[in-house]
Amino acid sequence: MEDNTPASFVDQLVVPGDVVLDLSKMGNQTIKLGGGLHQDCDAITVTKAGRLRFSKPNKYWVESSQKRYVPCVEDTVLGIVVDSKADNFLVDIKGPALAFLPVLAFEGGTRRNIPKFEAGTLLYVRVVKANTGMNPELSCTDASGKAAEFGPLKDGYMFESSTGLSRMLLSSPTCPVLEALGKKLSFEIAVGLNGRVWVNASSPSTVILVANAIMNSESLSVVQQKIMVDKLLQRIQ
Amino acid sequence: MEIGRDDGRTANQLRPLACSRNILNRAHGSASWSQGDTKVLAAVYGPKAGTKKNENPEKACIEVVWKPKTGQIGKPEKEYEVILKRTLKSICLLNINPNTTTSIIIQVVSDDGALLPCAINAACAALVDAAIPLKHLAVAICCCLTESGYVILDPTKVEEQKMKAFAYLVFPNSAISIIPEGSSHMEGELMEHGIITSVTHGVMSVDDYLHCLERGQAASTKMSAFLRRSLQSQAPNDSSRAG
Repeated sequence: MEDNTPASFVDQLVVPGDVVLDLSKMGNQTIKLGGGLHQDCDAITVTKAGRLRFSKPNKYWVESSQKRYVPCVEDTVLGIVVDSKADNFLVDIKGPALAFLPVLAFEGGTRRNIPKFEAGTLLYVRVVKANTGMNPELSCTDASGKAAEFGPLKDGYMFESSTGLSRMLLSSPTCPVLEALGKKLSFEIAVGLNGRVWVNASSPSTVILVANAIMNSESLSVVQQKIMVDKLLQRIQ
Repeated sequence: MEIGRDDGRTANQLRPLACSRNILNRAHGSASWSQGDTKVLAAVYGPKAGTKKNENPEKACIEVVWKPKTGQIGKPEKEYEVILKRTLKSICLLNINPNTTTSIIIQVVSDDGALLPCAINAACAALVDAAIPLKHLAVAICCCLTESGYVILDPTKVEEQKMKAFAYLVFPNSAISIIPEGSSHMEGELMEHGIITSVTHGVMSVDDYLHCLERGQAASTKMSAFLRRSLQSQAPNDSSRAG
């Protein structure tokens, strides 16, 4: 019933336990496995339910949306400061372990100008190291050492969503919800890949409208999103 | 020979199954599973940092809390917690998130027979909803032996009380595989025909137990197809995704 080619399961919904690749039949290629796949000798099995994706030349992963986050290097996330130690801030990024943000990981950071973050400060940070079993490490600079919009986010409103919604908001071309909202309202937004979104605008009603529109748009198609945003905007104008 | 059951089902017929996921807002994963009138709600929180005192810090730890519908928590609830913990530990991949704890909370909404299998099914669906990495899914079924020696599946509470013996059996789900059937033979037993947990009450002969296992195995393929459909039908809609 199944044809034994790897393409037969790509773009299909899979559940944990499904064997999707057989390495003994694939010769001497190098393949890269992303999230949701686990290698068991020669068979690659699925560990999370979702859709199997393949990107040329050799990357396989399972796409799924959940409320918790699995830290990956070079992801930009929104973290909340929980505690501060001598060398690091302890930051919660909705992952299995608390993340460390070194006190010197800021542009022009020296021992003399260490920022003071209280518990509860919202930060836009980048994940530098993410190994299993270790606490992830963060940084408030980009790879070349510049500040580049990282750092504390003041005012505004933060709400939690799923990782799938965050990825949709950050996809290119621009997500239809953000495009439709951006045509009529002016606001600023920071999306963390760990399922947190921060919105800021000049008036609280705009903030509430944008937040509600985004939260409702997760399971809607492109056209439905535009219709939903139009209806919300009609109500306030 | 057909035996008459109170609600008109045949010996091998299961009650109507219903499963819904992501029903609790604050839980990281949640599911409700109902078989006829038995309904159980499961919530998963985690993985969270830290393990308990006596647990191995190199592996993830699973903690189960069972909340009955009424009454205080007593020995039967503790027994269910231990059985669930061992079953779920064997289906989770514990090496992926070492030194973390995942908590699973089971709330009994209504009990009409086959409570533990319903709870195992709900817990498995909740673990999938929380994206905890699993080796495979678990499908649980209750088989009982009547006084006259017939094996019936999925009893109601009234039928359970009249039984000579019953067994709760948990099987791994039937997975779709790129490897053709038969190449994973091991000593005559196909890999997917394993059994994860078996809890028995009462007295039955070995032949009757093996008969229960066969019937349970056959029913588990049907339940596993249902579980796969319900997990897939609630997959996120990604037609609006670009690239």
